Amino acid sequence: MDLELSDDQIDLRDNVRAVLARECPASVVRGVYEGTDDASALWKQMVELGWPALCVPEQFGGLGMGFVELGILAEELGRVSAPTPLLATVTQFAPLLVEVHRSAPSTEIGDLLADVVAGTRTGSLAFAENGRWSPGSINATASGEGDSLTVTGEKTAVLAGSEVDSFVVVARLPGSEQSHHLGAFLVKRADAEATTPPVIDPALGLADVRFDAAPATVLSAGDAGTEIARAAEQAVVAMALHTVGACRRIFEVTLEYAKVREQYDRVIGSFQALKHRFADMYLAVEKANAICYFAALAIAEDDARRSEASHVAKVSSGDCQRLLAEEGLQLHGGIGYTWENDLHFLLKRAKVGDVLCGSASWHRTRLAELLGLSAVVAS
Amino acid sequence: MKLRFDESVEEFRAEFLQWLDLNRPSDQEMADDPARSSGHSPGWARAWTRRMFEGGWLVPGWPPHLGGRNAAPIETLVYLEELNRSEVPRTTNPQGLGIVAPSLVDYGTAEQIDAYAMPLLRGELTACLGMSEPDAGSDLANLKTRALLDGDRFVINGQKVWTSGAGYADFCFLFCRTDPDAPKHRGISIVLLPLDTEGVTIRPLKEIVHPEYPDLSEVFLDDVIVPVSNLVGELNDGWKMAGGSLAHERSMVWLNSVMGVESAMAQLLEMAPEIMAPLNQREQVLAADDIVGFYVEAQCARALGYRGFARFVKGGTAPEQALMKMYASELRRDLGRVAAAWCGPASLAITDGRRSDLGLIEGYFATFGSTISAGSSEIQRNIIAERILNLPRG
Repeated sequence: MDLELSDDQIDLRDNVRAVLARECPASVVRGVYEGTDDASALWKQMVELGWPALCVPEQFGGLGMGFVELGILAEELGRVSAPTPLLATVTQFAPLLVEVHRSAPSTEIGDLLADVVAGTRTGSLAFAENGRWSPGSINATASGEGDSLTVTGEKTAVLAGSEVDSFVVVARLPGSEQSHHLGAFLVKRADAEATTPPVIDPALGLADVRFDAAPATVLSAGDAGTEIARAAEQAVVAMALHTVGACRRIFEVTLEYAKVREQYDRVIGSFQALKHRFADMYLAVEKANAICYFAALAIAEDDARRSEASHVAKVSSGDCQRLLAEEGLQLHGGIGYTWENDLHFLLKRAKVGDVLCGSASWHRTRLAELLGLSAVVAS
Repeated sequence: MKLRFDESVEEFRAEFLQWLDLNRPSDQEMADDPARSSGHSPGWARAWTRRMFEGGWLVPGWPPHLGGRNAAPIETLVYLEELNRSEVPRTTNPQGLGIVAPSLVDYGTAEQIDAYAMPLLRGELTACLGMSEPDAGSDLANLKTRALLDGDRFVINGQKVWTSGAGYADFCFLFCRTDPDAPKHRGISIVLLPLDTEGVTIRPLKEIVHPEYPDLSEVFLDDVIVPVSNLVGELNDGWKMAGGSLAHERSMVWLNSVMGVESAMAQLLEMAPEIMAPLNQREQVLAADDIVGFYVEAQCARALGYRGFARFVKGGTAPEQALMKMYASELRRDLGRVAAAWCGPASLAITDGRRSDLGLIEGYFATFGSTISAGSSEIQRNIIAERILNLPRG
């Protein structure tokens, strides 16, 4: 029993953090926001460093690291509100491919993962519909078979949906309109219609994606509900850590600011009214971080608590961002409200992180079910 | 990182469980003669402490002659987990076992260890902590109780307040001022005061719940004579030792408070069907969401506490310790408030027992013992802000 990162994991974190500080300063994020940078240089650097390969199993040429390491990467990307399709590719696309491959191995999936490792393929998970991160809300449907297989449906807020090469689309299996069996289907972005409405954080490449009888390849054999659920847990915990990463950085920059900003001839951080709020912010970040890594560890070790822990982690990260986005902005005062200050990239990333992969409220209702509390309601 | 305990730790757990099964006090004897305060050790509790001492299970991390078995910290953790699960109190005199005994082992003379620490560990004596005073609460270093060195004895005059367990304890670990001219942190010493000494007057302070079983007392000291051999550590070195004592306390509080939250959470889940039965559907949804919220927090408290433990074991600094006192005590309080709120008029009942149950307003009020004492939540926030986050004092 050891809930602290190992020395190797801490080294990985420090290494990733140092690279991102150098390669992804706020000026890059600002460039993406203002349309003057497409972050392609950053992506190239990430591929050179082997980050897409980090947690892909060794059998596909990856580095075979575990889910805790993937969580570290997701958290650090949140810390700098990073653009690029890395988050979608490594925390959503690859995990579902790996899960499906485990129960139904195929050379095709192996090739896809090898492409991910090489940095020649990016992908995302097309899961949520009508803004609902829930298998029960999926109406996208596959039809036909073999070469004539197509997928039809609409997915919302797909991570990096405007920039990835491929989607794994979660859709009902052909002929499964009643029984609601779900499968995983590969669709090229070129065969789908991705629209990118202006959103508050343009650096995530969020897109609404329409599949209109889009040519598709089936990846799973039969009902892939279990594999989809397991991949969704990974996406959820990664997004929770991503959110907490943004929150920790909000905390740090706000704390730094309170130590230098002077009013009434003293730094504002010396006022007790603010000190107590910093103590509460610090607790919110530390506890969310601790439970998110517990969930990551449960996934890494395939522990029976992984599903429940993923919901708890997302709820806690949601609670964390609520406090940190609010206090971070409030304690910066007017300067934090300006476009020129970099704070807003983090504020926006924290808010979006709460919305994606199921809001805190949705995960709370799932927990109520798991704890048997909704059964009480039903009776 | 890993979730499982090593095989050797699980063997340690199994060994303790087997011993516990054979040696634990019975539910009946505990119910028949409950502890009346944190300084009171009923017969069964004294015998239980003695059995733990002799079995090497009282303080597992200590060597056998102090009632331990040189256990590793992780083994002590599973020991505390299992004790908590068994619902047998480790001691009815937590400040004696958790603070006074370790402080004496660290700073006491051989004679003091023989006369005070060992009897504490064998269940023969109980102790209280004389710290707070009317003008020295959160600002503890402001304490004024005066111990005047007079040859080979101290003459002590002053007043302590909020002294837990003083009404029943055998002796007091007393903080007093020995140099009134030194800066306030530098003139404090600790002396051991047998509470049957002439000039000691103890007045119980009735509390807002269970006034019939007061734990807190005022302690008046009028020309109380104590031999100089009862000085613990060096003269005027008390504040530094206070840091040590409180650190002992923190390390206990931090694990026990997580377990306390977990127990309360388990109890709340058990009560859930009963709480929900009379509610309409909309209320049930609200109640379920409240319960889920505490479930999430209890999981967070566990993850944070155990991560702090892991850092502590690896020898690093563990800021979690400072966070846990405030977090766990406030969480336990909030859980008590919400549980009582959902219990409706049933929450108004007062019990005759010495233990306040979840779902009662009296139980909710009782949780304030933890948010106020041993460094209030406000003091904890100051400590976090100033010592961990390095915000300037001001």
